[in-house]
Amino acid sequence: MTTNLAPDRRRPSAEASPDDVLVVDDLVRRYGDLTAVDGVSFRIAPGETYGLLGPNGAGKTTIISMVAGLIPADEGTITVLGQPVGPTRIAVKRHIGLVPQELAIYPELSGRENLTFFGRLQGLHSKDLAHRVDEVLDLIGLTDRAKDATKEYSGGMKRRLNIGIGLLHRPTLLILDEPTVGVDPQSRNAILESVEALSVEGMAVLYTTHYMEEAERLCDRIAIIDSGRFQAEGTRAELIRLTGELDQIRLSGSGAITAAADAIRALPAVQQADADRHTLVLTVRDAPTAVAAIVTAASTAGMTLSDVEISRPNLESVFLQLTGKALRD
Amino acid sequence: MRRTDMRQLWTMTASDLRQRVRDKSVIIFALLVPLALMFVFNLTFGGAQDVTLEKIDVAVSMPDGDQLAAALVAAALDSEAVQVNRTAAPADEIRGLVQSGEVAMGIVVPEGFGAAVTAGQEAVVDVVQGDQGELEGAVVVAVLQSVLDRLAAGTVAAIAGGQLGLPHDQLAALAQAAATAGPQFTLTEGEASTEQLSSSATLVAGQAGLFLLFTVGFGVLGLLAEREQGTLARLRSMPMPPGLIVAAKGLVSYILGVVATTVLLVVGGRLFDVSFGSPPAVAVLVLCVVAAGVSLMFIIARVARTAEQATVSQSILAMVLGMSAGAFFPITAGGALGQLMDLNPIAAFMRGLGITNGGGGIGDIGTPVLIMLGFAALTAAASRIVPDRGADL
Repeated sequence: MTTNLAPDRRRPSAEASPDDVLVVDDLVRRYGDLTAVDGVSFRIAPGETYGLLGPNGAGKTTIISMVAGLIPADEGTITVLGQPVGPTRIAVKRHIGLVPQELAIYPELSGRENLTFFGRLQGLHSKDLAHRVDEVLDLIGLTDRAKDATKEYSGGMKRRLNIGIGLLHRPTLLILDEPTVGVDPQSRNAILESVEALSVEGMAVLYTTHYMEEAERLCDRIAIIDSGRFQAEGTRAELIRLTGELDQIRLSGSGAITAAADAIRALPAVQQADADRHTLVLTVRDAPTAVAAIVTAASTAGMTLSDVEISRPNLESVFLQLTGKALRD
Repeated sequence: MRRTDMRQLWTMTASDLRQRVRDKSVIIFALLVPLALMFVFNLTFGGAQDVTLEKIDVAVSMPDGDQLAAALVAAALDSEAVQVNRTAAPADEIRGLVQSGEVAMGIVVPEGFGAAVTAGQEAVVDVVQGDQGELEGAVVVAVLQSVLDRLAAGTVAAIAGGQLGLPHDQLAALAQAAATAGPQFTLTEGEASTEQLSSSATLVAGQAGLFLLFTVGFGVLGLLAEREQGTLARLRSMPMPPGLIVAAKGLVSYILGVVATTVLLVVGGRLFDVSFGSPPAVAVLVLCVVAAGVSLMFIIARVARTAEQATVSQSILAMVLGMSAGAFFPITAGGALGQLMDLNPIAAFMRGLGITNGGGGIGDIGTPVLIMLGFAALTAAASRIVPDRGADL
């Protein structure tokens, strides 16, 4: 079930608007008995980056496949700039740029040849195409290696080219499916900067990830998805409010852990305390202020502490609270 | 088809061909490996199957004026089976000539040979054979033996005539007539015989047909590899009809198949001194067999779940169809199995090449062409029916 956020707490872009680039309404996709996507609806406005955050197998790629027109939806509708999307809807695909999760490039071709090939299929020609290829090569930082076969590229370079191909025809809607999987931190940062720049240019971006940090950094609005359903949707701040803005303190150690848990539960800032053999996990209000009293109570009760860890609420904790499991499960 | 579609089709086809040439796999599997196999098989089997008889020197001693002796020697040495340099020599020198190597063999027809045959008496013809020209000598001996058998029939006729009380002069005439008469049966070279490829031509045609089934996989089965590497999803997100991707792969397969098969037939023909006859007719056969091969690949692409599965299936089918067509050695079968093997497009291709090799033109290759095109149509139709587990065609 989707957690409904009050309309007045949502960004203006979340409201239905005739200017919306992408409108997805009550989308359903089944594979035999499995319902991979179950009643998903969302909209993306121009210049907005919309994130689908969920673990592997949550249904993100299936949604993207339908939005990109690769597979049909069993139920529901998708429109881009008001035009219906589907495998046989050719014209609307000119407005969509897809960056698949796999490195969808040809290893025997050079970076320039890959771009030129997909540019031609997108309908670019002659000087237009050559000029745009140069622009994209510059944008993704591969001008110097443009003539090299991509099989000689590093993983990060291939990822950048993968994104560059999606951008080549200046799509109105760019779909990025886990574009940073398997990328080193430096290349990841470069990719994230590129995506940030795109939304500034007015491109609507649909971004899937199971990395909470990426969703927090890039996305104006985020849908938390699990088992094919949206569990919640909103801005980062809106989603975090769903947790009650409670912090988490983790105490590790030995000794009288159960007694320590009982003592800590009595403290006014503590909402919840769960103990196992070596750890106490506490849900507390204003952890930085409460931590001193908590540590004192634990020690007094006979627990020998080896580590204290404070976590502020984030999308990970939202996901945990909504689904009962971690993002990387 | 719209102009834009044509442009996109050609863009995909040209790019795919460029990649196949660059990764060299198609050059290795479609050209180098089959040519190497042709060479090896030709060395192994070619010599054993295509025997060329050399000219042989034969020394002959026979009595002057003996018509039957002359007929015997003429029949043995003037046959088309083997070419002979005949030398006349005295009987007592024959063995020496053979031992010295001056001649490969010697034949001594004894004095009174003709009279003995017509009288129904025993006559012994000596043959001396040396180390040279063993095979050619064996052929001469075989021919000589067959003539002697016919002369023996004359002797039997003479004895039978004697027992019936015929006069002596009639007995001699009867014996001579029976001994020297031509054969009662004649052997005419039939259609099947003239349409048979030589062993070298069979190897060239067979390897070209067999490896065609590997070559055409580089296009169509590439759909599965593209799906695995993600480029298929990207292609399907492009503004073009989804069927265009499949058409481009089919076109790549077809072009590669036609080029590789043509090169193999031409180069193989040059290397092993084989001619397949009328180029237009051979071209028609190539176009048809490639169509059959490409259609077969579409079934594999539908049924196989992964590129690896497709490669294994392709290899099995190629070997089964290639071997049953006789790509490595002749295979015969009767009954239903034989009829089934006749429907094999590679076998039809080789049979078609046999017809062109025997002098046939486009008008003579209707049956193999129909078999190949029928196979292509059936497999293309089947590829639309079988469950699509692989390339999402």
